[in-house]
Amino acid sequence: MYRYFLSARYIIMRPINWIGTLSIFVAVSALILILAIMTGFLEESRKHLRGHLSDLVVTPTFDIPIHSLRAYPSRDTQGILAEIEKHPGVVGAAAQLVYPGMLVPPHSERIMTNPNAMGMVMVNFLGVDIPAEYGATSLLEDLKKEVMVGPFDQRPDDLDDPFAYPEDYYPVEDARPRDPILMGEKLAAIWGMRKGSELELATATLDPETGAFLQAGNRRVVVVGTFRSSFNEMDLSRIYLPREVLADWLGRPGQYSQVVVKLQNYERDNKSIISDLRVDLSSAGYIHPDPEKPGFAEFPWELQTWENSRGSMLAAIENERALLGIMLGLVLLVAGFGVFAILSMMVSEKRRDIGILTALGATPRGILTLFLAIGGIEALVGMALGVLAGVTAAHNINGIEAWLSNAFGYQIFDRDIYYFDHIPTVVELSGIVAIASASVLTALIAAAVPSLRAAYLNPVDALRYE
Amino acid sequence: MNDLTDNMAVEPGASPEAAQHQGRQPGRLLIEAKGIRRSYKIGDRTLDILHGVDLNLRQGERLCLMGASGSGKTTLLNILGLLDKPTKGQVSVQGLDGWSLSTAKRAELRNNHIGYVFQFYHLFAELNALENTLLPAMLKHGFWAYQARKKQYKERALELLHRFGLEGRLKHRPGKLSGGEQQRVAIARALLLDPPILIADEPTGNLDRATGETVLQLLFQEQEQRNLGLLLVTHDESLASRCDRVLHMEDGIIQSASDQPTPG
Ligand SMILES: Nc1ncnc2c1ncn2[C@@H]1O[C@H](COP(=O)(O)OP(=O)(O)OP(=O)(O)O)[C@@H](O)[C@H]1O
Ligand SMILES: [Mg+2]
Repeated sequence: MYRYFLSARYIIMRPINWIGTLSIFVAVSALILILAIMTGFLEESRKHLRGHLSDLVVTPTFDIPIHSLRAYPSRDTQGILAEIEKHPGVVGAAAQLVYPGMLVPPHSERIMTNPNAMGMVMVNFLGVDIPAEYGATSLLEDLKKEVMVGPFDQRPDDLDDPFAYPEDYYPVEDARPRDPILMGEKLAAIWGMRKGSELELATATLDPETGAFLQAGNRRVVVVGTFRSSFNEMDLSRIYLPREVLADWLGRPGQYSQVVVKLQNYERDNKSIISDLRVDLSSAGYIHPDPEKPGFAEFPWELQTWENSRGSMLAAIENERALLGIMLGLVLLVAGFGVFAILSMMVSEKRRDIGILTALGATPRGILTLFLAIGGIEALVGMALGVLAGVTAAHNINGIEAWLSNAFGYQIFDRDIYYFDHIPTVVELSGIVAIASASVLTALIAAAVPSLRAAYLNPVDALRYE
Repeated sequence: MNDLTDNMAVEPGASPEAAQHQGRQPGRLLIEAKGIRRSYKIGDRTLDILHGVDLNLRQGERLCLMGASGSGKTTLLNILGLLDKPTKGQVSVQGLDGWSLSTAKRAELRNNHIGYVFQFYHLFAELNALENTLLPAMLKHGFWAYQARKKQYKERALELLHRFGLEGRLKHRPGKLSGGEQQRVAIARALLLDPPILIADEPTGNLDRATGETVLQLLFQEQEQRNLGLLLVTHDESLASRCDRVLHMEDGIIQSASDQPTPG
């Protein structure tokens, strides 16, 4: 009985004990909040990445012959699309021509004055077919989105024909008509361009046979609209053109470099459809044979899910989460140290009481559990409050952030840096349970050392002096 | 614990060195210490404090222990109270060899059979007078067992505190009590479980003469009423007349044992 009674009494009467509770509280609430944010980031990232990429991507390696056929993969666009769309789980497929290049904004004198800034932006030109593209990716939604930057509506006039010139655009008489492009809303904002702005694209083409540098090409284009996927970073590095325009410019009429595919049920079907497609497309000569079959060169990347192609980014976030877990484990360690320090102090301070307890008939085990209970109660209270605070904070993080940003006049969560316009949080029960039990366990281990010291204190020494 | 408690009934007082004080019969043996030695190791030196002490304490006996400071009185008391293990020798309490018992059994002996009163009261600063008094009962029982008996123990504690004139101080913490009051609470605590043995190490050493006298009277009165074996360490030679037996310690041994109290 005395253990319950005394541990409770010691804790109540000695406010310093709450430092141990406080350290556990801070650790637990911080752990829960940060884990919720990290999980939120991960899930939100997956959503965004998935939105802008199609479910599957077929990227044939055209310049390596297919062994069994003694031929290069076929470049027949209609053929491969038909072959893919045959599959029941496929709801849409679109050919794309992807080619790297540069965007040369107006006022490019800057190239001269500031060589570091380059004045040019590396981008991918993405030649797409409308409306096939709409059926296989999220481009339509990305074009529909309300513009966030600047006062003007930069969306294309006609979503059915997004590459049509804006109504108020009149090409200069003497020049040949500019080709239309769609660019990321943010990229446009950075370079001060809006619907109707003209700029120059540059690229270099290589001889497909020899790989020799063939010629540099420049092309004046006009922005006919902007888009915004939720993945800001990616929007900075791609520019949409009509596929035939890009193909003509590169001297590859009708060609494609990849086919994007949308599935009816990605989570359920992606594995089976990939293996089906691998067989069908390779036997029809569009991609290299199944890497599972021995004796052939392996080209697993020719057929990938969006997760494969963004694998490193997803893994980076996962990895960050693990790293964070380790760092936060250190937070727990510090919290455990708090419990240890306070309880050690308690034991030193209560030497005399320990001696009296022994004289009155306490066993070492009883005294051990008395002090363990103090650590345990501290931990439980800190843990419970920490869980409460952590979960509450996780649910109200955006309000808290807004308030803090307001109070300090500093944007804590810079929406321009991240891909999200709010701080995403996901509170998982398993995470809370893990954190809660880890914190209590840490506290008990930390409490064990001073408690053992108390249990084996010599009562005679403890009682000797006032 | 019951077996130990039952022992108390047996063995009617028949002792060779029976103490005759105010007509009381010598009681049965409560503590029997034989050949107690205690030495401390300090560095590579061993310091011998007790060089073979024999001592018996009987039921109803008032035994006073005197001696110069540093002569080893407290050391001996700790050994007799099973708080300290002798380097050599045997201590039996209630017929049980204290150091061959398990730790738990020994703790039970201390809890049920020995009451301690210290010079510095040694009350818990966090508990009030009543709670301090109840502590031995809390140590004796687990949570539920204690809850079941709480009422009786509380009644008993209140009765003791009333008897000691502390009825107005029940909710006071030690910090708000005078030395004499604290010592009276400590005696109430020592007596709560009705132990047959009471060990008091200079219980008045920290009190002025008048207060010390009230505390002593109280201690003697309880000893008589309950027929306790009282082992009292004191520096006050005048107390000798009020003891059944006085032992003088010198250089780690008991020099003289006087059955006839010297008049003070
Ligand atoms: N843990 C220890 N280590 C070393 N020496 C000790 C220890 N405990 C006690 N002593 C020594 O043992 C001797 C006896 O101490 P003890 O406290 O028993 O004396 P005492 O007779 O009670 O004295 P007092 O009348 O002052 O209370 C002293 O010299 C003391 O220094
Ligand atoms: Mg002493």
